[in-house]
Amino acid sequence: MEKEVEHFRAPIKDVVRRKSPFDGLLEHMRIVKKCVSLLGEGLTKYIDGDYENFSKLAKKVSELEHDADLIKGNIRAHLPKNIFMPVDKGEFLWLLREQDAILDHAENLVEMLDMRRTKIPKELRDDFKKHVNLVVSTVEAMEKAVENVKDLLETSFIRREREQTKKFIHEVHNREWQADKAKYTITKNIYKLEKKLKPMDIYHLLKIADWIDDIADHAENVADWLRAMIAR
Amino acid sequence: MITGGASAIAFYMAWSIGSNDVANSMATAVGAKAITFRQAVLIAGVLNFVGAVFVGSHVTETIRGNIVKPSTISDPHALLLGFIASLLAAAIWVTLSTWKEMPISTTHSVVGALVGFGLIASGTQSINWFKLGQVASSWVLSPIVGCIIAFLVFRIIVKLIFDKAKPVESAKIVGPGIIGVTAFMIVSSLLMKTPLGEKIGVTTDLTVFTTSIFVGVIVALISMFLLRNIRAKSAEDYDTVERIFRRLQIVTSCYVAFSHGANDIANAIGPVAGIIPLASGQGFSSTAPVPVWLLALGGFGIAVGCLTWGHKVMRTLGYRITTLTNTRGFSVDFGAATTVLIASKLGMPISTSHTVVGAVIGVGLARGLAAVDLGIIKKIIVSWLLTVPVAAGTSALIFLLLKLII
Repeated sequence: MEKEVEHFRAPIKDVVRRKSPFDGLLEHMRIVKKCVSLLGEGLTKYIDGDYENFSKLAKKVSELEHDADLIKGNIRAHLPKNIFMPVDKGEFLWLLREQDAILDHAENLVEMLDMRRTKIPKELRDDFKKHVNLVVSTVEAMEKAVENVKDLLETSFIRREREQTKKFIHEVHNREWQADKAKYTITKNIYKLEKKLKPMDIYHLLKIADWIDDIADHAENVADWLRAMIAR
Repeated sequence: MITGGASAIAFYMAWSIGSNDVANSMATAVGAKAITFRQAVLIAGVLNFVGAVFVGSHVTETIRGNIVKPSTISDPHALLLGFIASLLAAAIWVTLSTWKEMPISTTHSVVGALVGFGLIASGTQSINWFKLGQVASSWVLSPIVGCIIAFLVFRIIVKLIFDKAKPVESAKIVGPGIIGVTAFMIVSSLLMKTPLGEKIGVTTDLTVFTTSIFVGVIVALISMFLLRNIRAKSAEDYDTVERIFRRLQIVTSCYVAFSHGANDIANAIGPVAGIIPLASGQGFSSTAPVPVWLLALGGFGIAVGCLTWGHKVMRTLGYRITTLTNTRGFSVDFGAATTVLIASKLGMPISTSHTVVGAVIGVGLARGLAAVDLGIIKKIIVSWLLTVPVAAGTSALIFLLLKLII
């Protein structure tokens, strides 16, 4: 029966996509959201020296990264040359790529921490926590900006919605900048403890700060590509 | 006997149109959840019938006597066999391509088939090349016009509704305005140079125009009245805008069904309209009116097609094209139906399905859709290039066979 139903001539079904690539983008973004929120909680515990469930977190992050990869691949595979989109296809794909990079860096960070559980010195814990919170909030701001794509599409990119998206993008830049400043504070404070800490610990602590900050950098890149994408 | 047999094939063609093309053009409304499958089938059945009976005669006359010049074929027997051959060839090709899911058009099949028999019966002189050229250019033009109208309607919706400070309040005025235009188009097509217009005494262009404007304004006011209680939850309450258009789309889907009936009916009954006088021994007359019972038979066939098979097609399509929201579906419906109706009044047999595709692309070009697959354009052009020769060849072959047998 199911096969019989298919016997009809209906060109309209070939013009309209069953699923919009933007739905895929938002779906991918939701995984980023879930992953970064888990990461935020996990890192806070890690900083406090609670490594109990850290391996589990690493595994979970890795799984989410893989799920997101599948979505990304699916979007790319279903964007043939002859597809017409309301935005530049290249910019869309760059946006997706940067969004995916957030997950890559999250995965890298937890894997590295799981490999060598460098203890965060008491003096640095508050700095690190502040940094993590700022990075997570940068990603949250980015999510809000990307989420507004729905309204942009619905209204065919009217000025009001574009202005709103730009406001959200501005917030991403603002938070990323603060995250950067927090990283420099950490770095400064790590150097202050230079004499007290083992060289390998220092190296790893510096690296951790960099790795965490990478996530905010890519969230900012997402916002930049979004800005380019919605420009007239 | 011959009339009966030909009518049966015509009925089959009408059924095929009803189950495929109508479902195809109504699917936007179903996909956008403006109407249910059941309502779609009902609307399609009734309004195709109305469109076919009241406005269907123009295109039918073109198919009957303007592609092949009946005067060049002196033997009425040959002409009769030719019409039968064309009908059969078109029916076979339509069935085959439906089975293979090719985006062909019944219109192109019928026209191709007529050309095939005309060429074999009395050479190139039998074809009205000028008319054929007009028809062929209308095949290219209709998707483009559908595209342009849908593009403009969607841009109007964006500029006058979404881009305003209070989109919902704007939608309550602009939406009914476009619905008024729809009513104007339907009423004027029903009255302009039709038996119905003469019957109720509306004959001059001016009276047709004023009557249609009057009805259009009334319809717009009624829809404004019906929408008066809808309130926006916030300035960005686009869902409510869509909800308004969900209601308005009921009207545009009626518009689609009506226009469809007015145009595609000819594909089914055009050749039969030529057969009837020949079979009963009278000479061919391209001026005799198309019998109303024949238009009704075609309309009935389309309605049956919707009821028996069309609902399956609509269900499948409705499920697939959910990305067409109500404002988009509305624009597509309006663009396609307006194009098809104008073509019908001009006596141009065009493809509704291809016009709908043009309209969807129009909304896509207006940045209204997340993704539009332009690959379909190539497929449609291939189907044009394929359908006409294949239908022509088959028709010529059947014609020769029939001549041998009878």
